[in-house]
Amino acid sequence: MTNVPLARIDLKDRRFSLSYPPDDEDLRWSIATVGIVQPVILLDRTPRIPVAGWRRLRCARELRLREVPAIIVDLDEKTALLRAIHDNLARGFNIIEKAAAVQAMDRFGFSREEIFGLMARLGLSPHEKVLSTFLRIASLDARSRDFIFRKNLSLRNVESFLRFEGKERRRILAALTGLRVTESTLREILEMLELIRIRKGRLTGRDIPVMESSDILRAHLKQKTHPILSSLAKKLKAIRSAMALPPGLDIRVDPFLEKEYIDIIVKIGSEDDVEAALGKVSELVAAGHIRRILELTKGRIR
Amino acid sequence: MSLQKVEFVETPGNIVRKCPGTKHHICCGYQTIDLVEGCVLSCSYCILKAYLRDDTIRISCKPEAIIAELDGMIDHRTDHILRFGTGELSDSLAIDRRYNLNRFLVDYFGHKRKAILELKSKWADFSHLLPHLNPYTVISFSVSPQRFIDAEETRTSPIHKRLKAARLAQDSGCFVGLHFDPVVIYDGFERDYRYLIADIGRMLDPARILWISLGTLRFPPALYDLLLQRRRRYLLSGEFIRGEDGKYRYIKTERIRIYRMLHRLLKDIDPGLFIYLCMERADVWKEALGIDLKDSEGLIGLFDERVKNLYGGTL
Repeated sequence: MTNVPLARIDLKDRRFSLSYPPDDEDLRWSIATVGIVQPVILLDRTPRIPVAGWRRLRCARELRLREVPAIIVDLDEKTALLRAIHDNLARGFNIIEKAAAVQAMDRFGFSREEIFGLMARLGLSPHEKVLSTFLRIASLDARSRDFIFRKNLSLRNVESFLRFEGKERRRILAALTGLRVTESTLREILEMLELIRIRKGRLTGRDIPVMESSDILRAHLKQKTHPILSSLAKKLKAIRSAMALPPGLDIRVDPFLEKEYIDIIVKIGSEDDVEAALGKVSELVAAGHIRRILELTKGRIR
Repeated sequence: MSLQKVEFVETPGNIVRKCPGTKHHICCGYQTIDLVEGCVLSCSYCILKAYLRDDTIRISCKPEAIIAELDGMIDHRTDHILRFGTGELSDSLAIDRRYNLNRFLVDYFGHKRKAILELKSKWADFSHLLPHLNPYTVISFSVSPQRFIDAEETRTSPIHKRLKAARLAQDSGCFVGLHFDPVVIYDGFERDYRYLIADIGRMLDPARILWISLGTLRFPPALYDLLLQRRRRYLLSGEFIRGEDGKYRYIKTERIRIYRMLHRLLKDIDPGLFIYLCMERADVWKEALGIDLKDSEGLIGLFDERVKNLYGGTL
């Protein structure tokens, strides 16, 4: 190990850089407090090329350190990349780092078997289709990669996101980046956007408005992709509101209005509760509310 | 016709099986003879794409074993007339000229005279079977508007050839079946179906159509993903919901509307046509066709009656 002046390291050479995101506040604080504990690995070239420790070097530069502890290695590019990958393997890779590692191996001419070997180690299915997805992730613009990372997108949602054109992806980012959105809601939103795109041929800004919450956006899209279901749901809501159900009595309807029956749920603590509930149910029947709901579930109303 | 790999395989267990049907839906009690798994026609919506592990065509044809299975089922079943088909995991006719897989079945059912064999296809050539046909073999075709065939069933026979083949089967003394399945919603589909049914009325003898099924497009979630990936505009135009069986299908009110329309158009050709819904709920039967079925047994009873009426009690 030796101390190497920062000025003699080519910090712009990122050919072995895998770390994402580049900023790490905890690491910065740690280095500011106790310095660099783990030496970085540098390739024996002039100037030195970082192999592992990119984030440490970035912090060192920001903290205006003059030199860093380093191990100098003399390796060919492919071996250096493997060193970089293995140096980071123990801490675990996020999806963007996996993509960067796979892309780097592809770029440096590793065989498919070697790349698939790494993919299996990273918990990815070693298949051409998955490889192609990860190569696409690695070549995405910074904003898209950050979205995938911050929202912790599943591979399925990533694949769906990648099926949109660049312009469409930017529109999706504008609408979704600021929203709190769960994995399943995101999946639903992306699916609906895909449907709209397939039906219309393309997505315009009006198809993906910026809205206050993911629920409002989801409801907005649902009206476009499922106009009949949305209209029936509205009618059901109106009936429910007119029924004014008391606490302890609930009517459950299949959200897709597919089941021909409905469930009437009664919570009782006494015989009086039973009588009250039955009385209310009879009132609902007499007022035609139950018949109207059944007309919805039996497909008689559009 | 196809570069798909064809393998002859030994299938463990039975080749003849009860059609699995689907939960919470009325099923027709069909029996399948799974001689072939996989299909060269490769229609874009085919559920085999989601179920089968690759596109290899696997043939498991052991006539003696299959006949033993059929004998066991037909001889012991006295309450219903059994209907068998080879078109569940493949197309019955698409590779039959080359591999001659159905011939022994046609002969068997012709001699047995106690059950019906249905050869269901989108491929209009069965001339190799023509000299061997008998009334216990039903030649059936899936029917769709040509516009849809051009978009989603690109390797299949055009509709006019299917209808001509159906007429040929009728003229050879067979009953035929027609399957409007899948019926797909797209811009102008109503008009296309009107023309299609008018063609059927012109080209076929309604008295020799044994049954007509109606089934709207439905598929498992895995296929939905594929359709999205492949941007199948025709197939994704309608409004889908997830059914109780987990499959995607059109929202109920749309299904009822379509079935009513097709039922009316078909009954205008001949009120005596036997029309049934494939994998539908009891309330849809009631709303669309006005038929009150409690369960699958009710539909199987209707089939028995239909077959007995047309075969004059010989079955």
